[in-house]
Amino acid sequence: MPEGTMNQGIGASVRRKEDKKFITGKGRYTDDINRNGQLYAYFIRSDVAHANIKNINVNAAAKCEGVVAVYTGEDIAADGIGGPICGWTPTNRDGSAPKEPPHPLLAVGKVRYVGDHIAVVIAESLEAAQAASEKIVIDLDNLPAVVDPATAIGNTQIHDEMDDNVYFDWELGDETATADALGGADKVIELTVTNNRVIPNAIEPRAAVAEYDEIEDRYTLYTSSQNPHLTRLVMAAFMMQIPESKLHVVAPDVGGGFGSKIYIYPEEAVCTWAAKKLRKPVKWTADRTQAFLGDAHGRDHVNKVKLGLDKNNKIVGLRVDTIANLGAYLSAFSMVTPTYLHGTLLSGCYDIPAIYTNVKGVCTTTVNVDAYRGAGRPEATYLLERTMDYAARQIGMDPAEFRRINFIPKDAFPYQTAVALQYDIGDYEPALDKAMEMIDYANFGSRQAEAAKRGKYRGIGLSSYIEACGIAPSAVVGTLGARVGLYESAVVRVDPTGTISVFTGAHSHGQGHDTTFAQIVADKLGVPIDSIDIVHGDTDRIPFGMGTYGSRSLAVGGTAISKAVDKVIEKGKIIAAHMMEAAETDLEFKDGKFTVAGTDKEKSFGEIALSAYVPHNFPHDRLEPGLEETAFYDPLNFTYPAGTHICEVEIDPATGVVDIVDWAACDDFGNLINPMIVEGQVHGGIAQGVGQALLENAHYNEDGQLLTASYMDYCMPRADNLPSLKIDYTVTACTHNDLGVKGCGEAGAIASPPAVINAIVDALSVVGVTDMSMPATTEKIWRAINDATAKAAE
Amino acid sequence: MELKQSQDIPIPVAQVWSALNDEQILAQAIPGCQELTKISDTELTATVKLKVGPVSATFVGEVTLSELNPPHSYVISGSGKGGVAGGATGSARVDLEAIDNGNATRLTYDVDASVTGKIAQLGSRLIESTAKKLATKFFTDFIAILSPESEQS
Amino acid sequence: MYATTYAKAKDVADAVSQLKGADEGKLLAGGQTLIPTLKQRLASSDCLIDLSDAGLSGISDEGGSIRIGAMTRHVEVETSEMVKKAIPALAALASGIGDRQVRNCGTIGGSVANNDPSACYPSALLALGATVHTDRRDIAAGDYFTGMFETALDEDEVITAVSFPKPEAASYVKFPNPASRYAMVGVFVAKTSSGVAVAVTGAGQDGVFRHGGLEAALNSSFSAESIDSVAVDDSVLMSDMHASADYRAHLITQMTKRAVAAC
Repeated sequence: MPEGTMNQGIGASVRRKEDKKFITGKGRYTDDINRNGQLYAYFIRSDVAHANIKNINVNAAAKCEGVVAVYTGEDIAADGIGGPICGWTPTNRDGSAPKEPPHPLLAVGKVRYVGDHIAVVIAESLEAAQAASEKIVIDLDNLPAVVDPATAIGNTQIHDEMDDNVYFDWELGDETATADALGGADKVIELTVTNNRVIPNAIEPRAAVAEYDEIEDRYTLYTSSQNPHLTRLVMAAFMMQIPESKLHVVAPDVGGGFGSKIYIYPEEAVCTWAAKKLRKPVKWTADRTQAFLGDAHGRDHVNKVKLGLDKNNKIVGLRVDTIANLGAYLSAFSMVTPTYLHGTLLSGCYDIPAIYTNVKGVCTTTVNVDAYRGAGRPEATYLLERTMDYAARQIGMDPAEFRRINFIPKDAFPYQTAVALQYDIGDYEPALDKAMEMIDYANFGSRQAEAAKRGKYRGIGLSSYIEACGIAPSAVVGTLGARVGLYESAVVRVDPTGTISVFTGAHSHGQGHDTTFAQIVADKLGVPIDSIDIVHGDTDRIPFGMGTYGSRSLAVGGTAISKAVDKVIEKGKIIAAHMMEAAETDLEFKDGKFTVAGTDKEKSFGEIALSAYVPHNFPHDRLEPGLEETAFYDPLNFTYPAGTHICEVEIDPATGVVDIVDWAACDDFGNLINPMIVEGQVHGGIAQGVGQALLENAHYNEDGQLLTASYMDYCMPRADNLPSLKIDYTVTACTHNDLGVKGCGEAGAIASPPAVINAIVDALSVVGVTDMSMPATTEKIWRAINDATAKAAE
Repeated sequence: MELKQSQDIPIPVAQVWSALNDEQILAQAIPGCQELTKISDTELTATVKLKVGPVSATFVGEVTLSELNPPHSYVISGSGKGGVAGGATGSARVDLEAIDNGNATRLTYDVDASVTGKIAQLGSRLIESTAKKLATKFFTDFIAILSPESEQS
Repeated sequence: MYATTYAKAKDVADAVSQLKGADEGKLLAGGQTLIPTLKQRLASSDCLIDLSDAGLSGISDEGGSIRIGAMTRHVEVETSEMVKKAIPALAALASGIGDRQVRNCGTIGGSVANNDPSACYPSALLALGATVHTDRRDIAAGDYFTGMFETALDEDEVITAVSFPKPEAASYVKFPNPASRYAMVGVFVAKTSSGVAVAVTGAGQDGVFRHGGLEAALNSSFSAESIDSVAVDDSVLMSDMHASADYRAHLITQMTKRAVAAC
């Protein structure tokens, strides 16, 4: 690599190029965009969880000063505008299709959760819209709320299309073989594992600015989205029913998503629709409570788990029966999350010969539940790693050893699991060993004894996880029911002066693509990263894209970029061969130079770039001018990051306060492009998982009221909830993408919740506690200690 | 939220029962009651202004008397909309029992309350305390109005 | 936020007169509760009267007590050498209110006038036997707090300062709500010439209160162990999704022990 680019290529911890604007408050978010003459939308939401709409009287509101229009669901229906759709669908056990009741943008006939959209006021100012909204008279006939997923089936009917509140009833694996395995097992461990419901809390609430150009008959929507092309596709084809080319979607700087900005929401569509109706731009920005009420929530599963062991404590079979709460309506990935991204991961890192799972997706009068950092894989990991720990305790075996003897051996790859996936590569023991070494697992006993002297309960908890990332190989997911393939595109455009623009279909909303992607290009072309611009988030500039989620950006989007760069190099060789009068087959490219093998002839990348655009003597029958290449990359398989996290806690029995005192994470993400960014992703993921394990909970009361709709009550993890994290890696390079990368964005959030809960249960095992639910609040812990102590005294 | 309490009043059951059905006495006892209008023997409309710390809201709604078993028990329930603040519903089952040879009454009330909208979303920490406070105030004031001592003073 | 007018009071008399002249006038004393409530449209006011220039800031040592002007911000109490020396527990309490932004804006007068049942300051006033000075009278802390969000203040009465007698020893220990970091239970223990006072915030259904049982035990023996046998009645305590009443009762005992140990 040439001078000056040494520390900018693959493997270098380059400081993030994008951070200057963010840390100086100069990011440009959707709410920063203002258009001339724009109007403001304010949505009126249901205060109750479930009710028939008897009447909506908007007359007084429509007459308020500054109000331009008031719309209800009937206005939307009259224009034939459709609602959000579900992207992937499973097939029911009996071969039938799942039920997909309609989701009107504004409620028609019924409201189905607190926050459901009833009407929108569009006015010249937000204040006018808000004031007018208070004049709308809504007459509702209340119906019983359905909140608890465990009792949702057969409860009060929520949609006409579903008499039992079950969206789907799906299975995977061999039920008979699993029953036989459990029947013949030496021991069967049974545990009910609940995955609590959480709220994504992106720092930037959702927002939209929509405008309509009458001359061009074209819409532009600025929106805080993780996938602008999917927004365009779904909105054009299914909601607005307009030609896709007539909708331009821009996702500018986006302040976090965590999955909640994959789904295409009613507000964005209503603004777009109204912009044409009113011939004026329409703007909407959620406030924080609206975000709590309306953004898709995450998790919310109840699982019954049965794990069979033989006499040597080897796992012989696993059965999992899951009820997944999907909320009142379906959304983009709501059905795939508890099925294809959950059931397929139930083998974890373990060699399990027989697995069967049944998942029922149920409807409740709560906001929809969709992908949230990890999407399905954290739920699978949590139930499996809790069960592994519970089992180890039951059989009296060290949890690390129990995991070790059940790991898929490293010579077994590629490994076909009992639940559809084929892991290409992995080696789980070294990560376990390294994590144990990092936290000094061997001497835990002495630390525990020392803590006991101070009156504290100390515990240690492991979590060995696997995830399927790089969503998603079209061939695989197509057979699973995906309505779209999840490949990625890239355009690499080299300018005459050698600067480079990379257009990617991945979308950065905190992941650091501007830096990581530039490093890939810099490494391959031998140019400084400052000469490379990464362009994303604009459907007019990028050929197509699936966006960013499922730790797919690098493995899929990055590989597409790598392939486009390869094409640039190939073309560069043809140009260089022509310029140096050499055979194309003799051309080599290395360190930013094209050379002719066996000679001292060379041309720099810059010279080739210039001549591509000054093609005075190109043989035009064989060589076109210009230097720009496009690649679409459809992965062959998922990638399979894996690793072990170990958490050590100290509990104050007097108050129930849990202090995470140490954390070791050893992850295998394949090759690392920017270790600093990877470390940041692991940190963030662990913090989010610790939040779920200790603090966060979407609390609906029995009436379906969301009681945690502000930061007064919804508890986010903060810096003082975490110790300094010890992070390290093992590397088995992915076998099926050019970069050998696997993805790192979700691992922390997947691995960490069971590590925390296992550590807590370990700490409390001194008083006889065997299980703990999330979030493990101080009161729950205090009560568990009291109950266990009382039981022991009996 | 549930609250069950009982209190003794030194007047006979019949008088307590009639007070429980007297809208003027109810209007004095309902905390923050601005207006109480009788529609029928068992239905009233009400306007109630409540202030909890910096939050103030005016609830417009109905007061309904049901499950009447004169002069022993009934359920008094109120439900109102407080505009942007949300809605509130509260009901109390009231039982009267003759004590002290019929010279006095033991009044037992069992309260249930729920709220919707912003009050629930933003103020959940205060819901239970506020409901208890309002219920207690209603019955304390009601009993005070009836008690001979208050008449004397 | 509903439309309102905003005016700065030039002194206390001006504030009182503006308050009398308004239909729904509200005093702005830092605004850390009022402004978010107004923004949520859960309150409205035709006139916001800002006390920040009314000459009510400042801390002075009056010999036996420390007098803190009503508009003195939490950060000023937190960092005051005078407070740290005379009543370090009060400075420590101020340092734990909200976050840095809240402490840079919020004032002692605003907090005491609002009397949020989970606010920290009321416990200090009650335990230290403080006096609330207003534009028209002095009110003993024991008479001042009358219930959740309720005080002895008249509608148009303005707090001007709070005087805290210097204790022999004092300590405040807070168990914060994990989300809001308000007190889920906060216990202020003060040892004065007239005995031990224990004031509890964050836990009582009627707001801040003194606990007679804990005080009696500590008056007979000032040690953490002495309260082991004291029962804390949970029937008068708050219950919410973060902590039920019996857990709060337990935390009162635990926080009292810690406060006593730190005295």
